[in-house]
Amino acid sequence: MEKAVTADKAERKSFAQSSTFRAVLPVIGLILVFIIFNILTGGRMITNLSLTISSLYSLMIACTGVFFIMTMGGLDFSQGSILGIAAIVICTVSKVAPVGIAIIAGIAVGAGIGAINGFFYVNRKIKSFIVTICTMFLFRGIIKYLTSDSPVSGAASLQMNYDTVPVKLTCMLIVVALGIFFFEFTRFGTDLRAIGAGEKAAKFAGIRTDRMKFWVYVLSGAITGFAAFVSVVHAGSVTSSGGNQLETQILIALVLGGMPISGGAKVRFENVIVGALLYTILQSGLQMLGMSTQTMQMIESVVFLVFVLIFADRQSIQVIK
Amino acid sequence: MSDEVRLEAVDVSKTFGITKAVQHVSEKFYKGEIHALIGENGSGKSTLTNMLTGIYSIDSGKFILDGEEVKPVNQVDANNHGIAIIVQELGTLDGLTVAENIFLGHEDQFVKHGIKNTGAMNKKANELLKEYGFGRIKASDYVDDYNFEDRKLVEIVKSTYFKPKVLVVDETTTALSQEGREELYKVMNRVRDYGGVVIFISHDLQEVLDKSDRITVLRDGVYIGCVNAKDETEDDLKKMMVGREMTGDYYRSDYGEKVSDEVVLSVENVTVPNLIKDVTFQLHKGEILGFGGLSESGMHEVGKAIFGASFDRTGTVKLADGTEINDIPTAIKHSIAYTSKDRDNESVVMNQSIGDNILLPSLDRLGKGPLKIQNHKANRAFAEKYAEEMSVKMVNTNQFVSELSGGNKQKVVLARWLGADSDILVLDSPTRGIDIKVKQDIYQLMDKMRKEGKSIIMISEELMELIGMCDRIIIMRDGQISGELERSRNLDENSLIAKMV
Repeated sequence: MEKAVTADKAERKSFAQSSTFRAVLPVIGLILVFIIFNILTGGRMITNLSLTISSLYSLMIACTGVFFIMTMGGLDFSQGSILGIAAIVICTVSKVAPVGIAIIAGIAVGAGIGAINGFFYVNRKIKSFIVTICTMFLFRGIIKYLTSDSPVSGAASLQMNYDTVPVKLTCMLIVVALGIFFFEFTRFGTDLRAIGAGEKAAKFAGIRTDRMKFWVYVLSGAITGFAAFVSVVHAGSVTSSGGNQLETQILIALVLGGMPISGGAKVRFENVIVGALLYTILQSGLQMLGMSTQTMQMIESVVFLVFVLIFADRQSIQVIK
Repeated sequence: MSDEVRLEAVDVSKTFGITKAVQHVSEKFYKGEIHALIGENGSGKSTLTNMLTGIYSIDSGKFILDGEEVKPVNQVDANNHGIAIIVQELGTLDGLTVAENIFLGHEDQFVKHGIKNTGAMNKKANELLKEYGFGRIKASDYVDDYNFEDRKLVEIVKSTYFKPKVLVVDETTTALSQEGREELYKVMNRVRDYGGVVIFISHDLQEVLDKSDRITVLRDGVYIGCVNAKDETEDDLKKMMVGREMTGDYYRSDYGEKVSDEVVLSVENVTVPNLIKDVTFQLHKGEILGFGGLSESGMHEVGKAIFGASFDRTGTVKLADGTEINDIPTAIKHSIAYTSKDRDNESVVMNQSIGDNILLPSLDRLGKGPLKIQNHKANRAFAEKYAEEMSVKMVNTNQFVSELSGGNKQKVVLARWLGADSDILVLDSPTRGIDIKVKQDIYQLMDKMRKEGKSIIMISEELMELIGMCDRIIIMRDGQISGELERSRNLDENSLIAKMV
């Protein structure tokens, strides 16, 4: 049947499913959106570029971690809460210790929450979205508790010394560069994709799937802990809504970047870069046009749905004939 | 067989892109016949029957059932027309009960005022199961609780309880043990007896000759001819299928060769709860050691146990140098390869490229430095080399494995382990659902590996290939070793079966 089946798939594989399309559409989208908003705002976007992308840094860093999780077919809704908690820890520690220690503390707390997610997901075999929704609410509660009297503010030096484009850009580029290196040039990426494409078969090919899944959650938490630093230096303090809805932003960004929501073999690292850029520009553009948050949310959700429709990897969804 | 036509295919064609999968096939199927459909992989057998059962649409031509044209839009519609199919791979749905699977798409009969009467449905299903002699399967159990074999039996009930006029059996027998096959034959005969047509697709030519009345041969989508089963021999059929005489050896031809005394793997008192008990044996260098038995005999678990893939295993699996194998990565690192009976779930990552599938176990070896940095170009060349060595039919190594036929998937699996340069190969049902030409390739590859000093464990439900290929055959029964047979010209299936049951 080989010829027949191949051709059948080729026939059914609409243009939208082809890999070129998958790779090119987000980039075209990014350029188009950028041009359109520049026209609509009379060039304000390009002249205020640093403002436009001020929220890009922490988003792209956090996206990198979630990207790994989603590649292996998992989800993580606790990202916003991880960022919030890590930000509170960074602020608190920064007042008593050097900034390096504060960053490490943030990363450690992120990794810790990641480990909790990983433990329940891997060892107790609970679906990842259930586990992470639980931890999302749990840690959101803790954030609200800690910030109930007043926002937690960090050391003054934090915002003064580090809230510069070079610092934040460097932080982001380091994470992205490391991400690209490990994902593309070591077996890390291949293993993650194999787990996403078929966990059982990946196990039989020699991948320690359970160990891998656990550590990827830890890693993703740690990365988001680091993102919290970048976010804190920008904001200076953490309120009860610190990191709120980051998880949705990440999800939308990755999907806009062309990532199939089920992960697997069709995932590419470009999804992170293009997706985070596209989302940030879309968000800032709408803001510059004076849209209310409500309208923005509605527009974003429609865009999200459309992109999921386009990029859903239907071939990989098992069809039982 | 009467001379009344039940089903007729008239000039049926199907193309996929540029591939002509089925070209102008016409054939009459008479009431009360078992009509075999044979041909190599890719000859269009399944495409033809998939059009009849509503899985594919018909490009041109038509099917006439009892004088009326049928054009099913899906399988449920086909069932309503009296056409049913039993497929090669798993055709039951996880998460549903046995009864729900049996009546899938036909639940309406149990619905009254919009409410489904589960009790009545289970009762009916249990009656049917009992009638078929599968009383041990319970209608209210989840189908997930049953093994592959039993789920196939559920599928048989699902496809035939409504007395279909046409029953397509698409390479189902390769998935079944001897017992399961007997049950299927009974059902096929029953359909024939009430005047139905059984379209029987199988790669096992002996079975085809034994069980069918007439045989239609397809090659590359073209109708080659239709013959009476009783006038033909296996060789005649092979010639029609391949279009030329088969050359070279099929199985091994040597007898009486001395196997090395060097032990490469010793398995001691291996027990897996409820599956195997106290299995002990040794594998020698350059030996092909066979495992035979009924599908539930535990022989498939032996393969998993050696590869470190069993749950709660006790006992030891040890290499010559004393290394104990307790998990899959250790097994792979120490040059053990494993191909599973459940090819689509355990052997290949379906939704991944051929290249990555071949590369996976070798990535550590190919990587440079402590970080195992991968060179994409070299990796690609590596994958291509082994895919070519196994002559995988593909567009390129970026193609997804899910797009390949069973035979080609198996070639990808073997290419993977060739690439990993494994010294010990555990092959569970390596030729399941594969046509004779690829089978021959696999047998010859095994013979070549054996001569190179590699050791092979071959687990199979096909007794002939065990007899043809193995130096020694261990027979399993009820999770334990029940006997051992040496390679000999005089060995026949009966001597194996005697130890199996």
